Amino acid sequence: MDDKGTPPDVDDARSWRGAYVAVLVWLAVQIAALTLLSWIRL
Amino acid sequence: VSAIDWAVLAGTLAVIIGYGTWKTRGIQTVGAYLRGGEDAKWWTIGLSIMATQASAITFLSTPGQGFDDGLGFVQFYFGVPIAMVVLCATIVPIYYRTRVLTAYEYLEQRFDLKTRQLTALIFLLQRGLGAGLSLYAPAIILSVVLGWPPLVTSIAIGLLVIVYTVSGGTRAVNQTQQLQMTVMLAGMALAVIFIARQLPVSLTDALSVAGVLGKLKAVDYSVKLDTRYTFWSGLTGGTFVALAYFGTDQSQVQRYLSGESLRQARLGMLFNGVVKIPMQLMILFVGVLVFVFFQFNPAPLFFNKQLHAPAYEAQHVALESEKSELLKSWLSTRSPDTEAQLLALDGRQHELKAAARAEISKADPLANTKDADYVFLTFVIEHFPRGLVGLLLAVILCAAMSATASALNALGTTSLVDFYRRSFNPQVDNDRALRLSKLFTAGWGLVAIAFAIFASRLDNLIQAVNILGSIFYGPMLGVFLVGFFLKRVGGTAVFIATLVAQAAVIVVFLASDIGFLWYNVIGCAVVVLLSLPLSRVVPAPLAR
Repeated sequence: MDDKGTPPDVDDARSWRGAYVAVLVWLAVQIAALTLLSWIRL
Repeated sequence: VSAIDWAVLAGTLAVIIGYGTWKTRGIQTVGAYLRGGEDAKWWTIGLSIMATQASAITFLSTPGQGFDDGLGFVQFYFGVPIAMVVLCATIVPIYYRTRVLTAYEYLEQRFDLKTRQLTALIFLLQRGLGAGLSLYAPAIILSVVLGWPPLVTSIAIGLLVIVYTVSGGTRAVNQTQQLQMTVMLAGMALAVIFIARQLPVSLTDALSVAGVLGKLKAVDYSVKLDTRYTFWSGLTGGTFVALAYFGTDQSQVQRYLSGESLRQARLGMLFNGVVKIPMQLMILFVGVLVFVFFQFNPAPLFFNKQLHAPAYEAQHVALESEKSELLKSWLSTRSPDTEAQLLALDGRQHELKAAARAEISKADPLANTKDADYVFLTFVIEHFPRGLVGLLLAVILCAAMSATASALNALGTTSLVDFYRRSFNPQVDNDRALRLSKLFTAGWGLVAIAFAIFASRLDNLIQAVNILGSIFYGPMLGVFLVGFFLKRVGGTAVFIATLVAQAAVIVVFLASDIGFLWYNVIGCAVVVLLSLPLSRVVPAPLAR
């Protein structure tokens, strides 16, 4: 949204969705790996 | 510190400062000085964002936290990737479209002048103190290592930063940070490799030792408000603090506003979101490896050589050698009985250290008995080979300089753009504005040095900085969220709500034990929830 509360350029925002999802999936993978590290006994 | 180390340290710093100053010579306009020429590519932006956040405190305290508490501190960074995505989708496009020079300038377009200047003032206060802390951290450590008085070290680092930040502005900060971040990452990677090779056991056994003694417990899913780092506080409080820090703190906003385009800015921020957790994990892991090293090698009772508790030394040595033997036997048998004995012994070591601390505090109530900040550097000085010591010292000084440079750059910009040029002299010409920008930047550098001189006697340093940030960040984020999402709320309503929220956070800080990450949530929530009913009493002017 801009300073008057209207949404930003929709097409531009949409083209970035894949990148955003990839970053969040990477976060989930890291949390899962760290959780596993906390639980397993090496 | 040998001559080779001095050469590595001085050479690294000279190359970086020389490169930054040379690349940014001849800046003629105040626009280029403040915006850095608007030609930064994503890797420059990404590294600059990382270098701004990575202060010397990061490289001194974080391994210390790994040594003391294991990997749990990494949870604080879980919010960073989320914040990067949210900011790329919301605030960054607005900053680029409205062509603002500071984050607070946007708030005048959305609300009014008083809201802009209140938030700018909060930023100046908080970042001015923060810049002092980022100079002070390496100064005390280097004073213990090299015997220099912290006063001299703070002034020396501060003056070096002032020289290139004042001369080249935003572009000098970005260019030097690119190199500084490269040195920091390379230095820490070499540290991991070197410490791993120093261990008397295999890396797998080292991980087993770290695991059995609780140092690999990275994620804590328990719901405890008084525990600083849990999965929940990291994901919620960590996201709030990252949103506020990267979205509204001018020292960060100025980094991505110097981008060639919105696309480069977004890529730079997402790059930060991808590599932040692995980087922090690597630094914490250095601390965990140092911990394992000292399970098999004698460690001092306190790593800060200024702390003495002679009555506890003999018992400390006895417990250490007993534990070392027990660990060796556990590694070969993995028997549950040995493990239980090991944990009991570990508990006794903690009790002994707590008793020694209490004894020191009794004799000197003002003594800082937490020595976590000294663990890593002491290890480096005593165990690293020549040359690598110099490189690690360069890592710490690069970090101190990069964090301070961004802060001074942003403080100078905010002073000029949000106060002087806005309220005192809107018609100021280019040459005078450029001169004043440099003057404000230098002035804030001197304020930071002065604060660093007084900033002794603080708890674990990284936490002091984070706590300080969290007191101010919540309300600040609240103002921006209201600006973006609650379009009916006007300037006066959000202004009052911000003052109330700031007071509320300070009361919570003084009167409760709630973990500091929650201050961000509380401050932000008070602004949002209070500005809604207030906007009915003081509605936004219809003309806006």
